[in-house]
Amino acid sequence: MTIGKSLLLVGLLALAPVLVLSAPDPRLVLPEFTALSQKATESVVITLDPSLLSMAGRFLDGGDPKDAATLEVIKGLKGIYVRSYTFDQDAAYSQADLDAVRNQLSAPGWSRLVQTRSKKTHADVDIYIMVVDKSAVGLALIASEPREFTIVNIIGSIDLDKLRKLQGQFGVPKLDLDAAPSAAAGKTK
Amino acid sequence: MNEFDDKPSSGDEQLESQLRDALRAVAPSEAFSEALLARLASERTRRTGRYSGWWLPASLAAAVLVAVGAVEHLKAAHEREMGLEARREVIEALRVTNQKLDLAYQAVRTQSTSLSEGDPGA
Repeated sequence: MTIGKSLLLVGLLALAPVLVLSAPDPRLVLPEFTALSQKATESVVITLDPSLLSMAGRFLDGGDPKDAATLEVIKGLKGIYVRSYTFDQDAAYSQADLDAVRNQLSAPGWSRLVQTRSKKTHADVDIYIMVVDKSAVGLALIASEPREFTIVNIIGSIDLDKLRKLQGQFGVPKLDLDAAPSAAAGKTK
Repeated sequence: MNEFDDKPSSGDEQLESQLRDALRAVAPSEAFSEALLARLASERTRRTGRYSGWWLPASLAAAVLVAVGAVEHLKAAHEREMGLEARREVIEALRVTNQKLDLAYQAVRTQSTSLSEGDPGA
């Protein structure tokens, strides 16, 4: 091996940790929302890391259609993080509370998939996705309503079609969404 | 001294003499002593063999088995509890996510419907 090749190899090895560190990370740093959780009438705080997801998978029955669909969705996931707070009055939280999360979504790697603003219900939903090598590795969802806000961060290979198949289960009403993709595509950033 | 010593009768003296003869200390025969000692020795050996040889390790093994079984049972129960809780959380997380995705889909759908209604040429 020539000296030049040796130097190149050493240089690449030295750069390897930097290259690994600079890879986009789909995991968001979610605030504690301690003050808001005390004001909230309902709160959902879910932190599912890979080991807990794997453990949950062992307790889902593949023979049961609902459980099988859930298993199919979580199969490629490495984490699910949910923070959802409901209040008994308007303006119990400010948009500034969500800015810490929104700012992270302006980092390279994230793309806004859908942004909806409803003047009627004052419900705003932003869906972001992180794509690496043509596959989704992360999803972030921020939904804010006058008395409620929800942040969802899913890590791993996400198949939104599989997620949609869960509609009609868990108490979520089933919608005819066949018309939605073209409209949603128009909203994709 | 009691009243009987004060007035001994000939009949009493005879009875007493007979009793003394009957109850006098007599050395056991040599054969009896040997048989008794041999029996005692064999009894001691049998007792030692019956109890001290295996009961202590067996009791310890049984106690260890029970302890290991109890720990494994508790561990399995704890893991089951955690697994069921994780399962519940997965379902809840997907429910919340789907609910919010529906909100977005509904908004997009409403908007696309109103756009198509407002554009008769479409």
